Amino acid sequence: MSELANDIKKASLEASERTGLTVTHVAARRGARASLDDVARAAFGVSLPSSPKAVEARGALIVWTGPDQWLIVQKDETGRDHYAELAKTFNGLASLVDVTDSRTIFRIAASRPSETLLRNMGIDFHENSFQPGDVAITHVSHLGVIVWRLPDGTAYDFACARTYSREFADWLRKASA
Amino acid sequence: MRIHCPHCGERSLDEFSYLGDAVVRPDPASPNAQEAFYTYGYERSNVAGPMQELWYHAAGCHAWLVVTRDTRTHEILEVKSAHEVALARQKVAGTAQ
Repeated sequence: MSELANDIKKASLEASERTGLTVTHVAARRGARASLDDVARAAFGVSLPSSPKAVEARGALIVWTGPDQWLIVQKDETGRDHYAELAKTFNGLASLVDVTDSRTIFRIAASRPSETLLRNMGIDFHENSFQPGDVAITHVSHLGVIVWRLPDGTAYDFACARTYSREFADWLRKASA
Repeated sequence: MRIHCPHCGERSLDEFSYLGDAVVRPDPASPNAQEAFYTYGYERSNVAGPMQELWYHAAGCHAWLVVTRDTRTHEILEVKSAHEVALARQKVAGTAQ
């Protein structure tokens, strides 16, 4: 059940939990970064970002989550096992963990940073500072989150540990009150 | 105090954990390892001025950093990735041999 059973829909904030996704954590093996990039380019047509950026490629969103680490977010499709496909593609070059069940991703639909985000987070969400495709790993109210702005700039996604998703949803409700 | 993480950019102090002096850990296989570890563990210098320290970006990218901080003013003079520092040290050691 959604942690945001009653999705937040206010003028100040519109938030919902994203479902039907496969989320894979990818960490490059030592010394394999260059080969991993070659394989990623062949599979997705893009290089894996080396700085806090999220890139969209062939239906997948590749999110930088630290040096030589990424989250690959893909929409579920009938008959496809995204994790198995990635494990096969990156075999021997990266360590993969299917974190679909351990992460909750909330989407805050906003084309511009809302007052809620500006007021309550320690990073600079100014339009010129946090641009489409930018990523930040930080915390809100002591809860660790990875936040990215969609490359098309239409929304912000927040990924947090599923065990803390209720607390995160509470924070969102209170912050937007 | 704000620290400029080489990976994430400038972030607030509350995202970081402090470990301490970034002095190189002695080689446990060296013949004088016991004395070296005693010095490493107990005879730390109490620097009044710029000091290299290890910090961990715990609430961020989970990278270890070597931060040069002036202990009198808390001014951050330089921040490097500890991984890069270790690789550079290995390279220097390799050239010296």
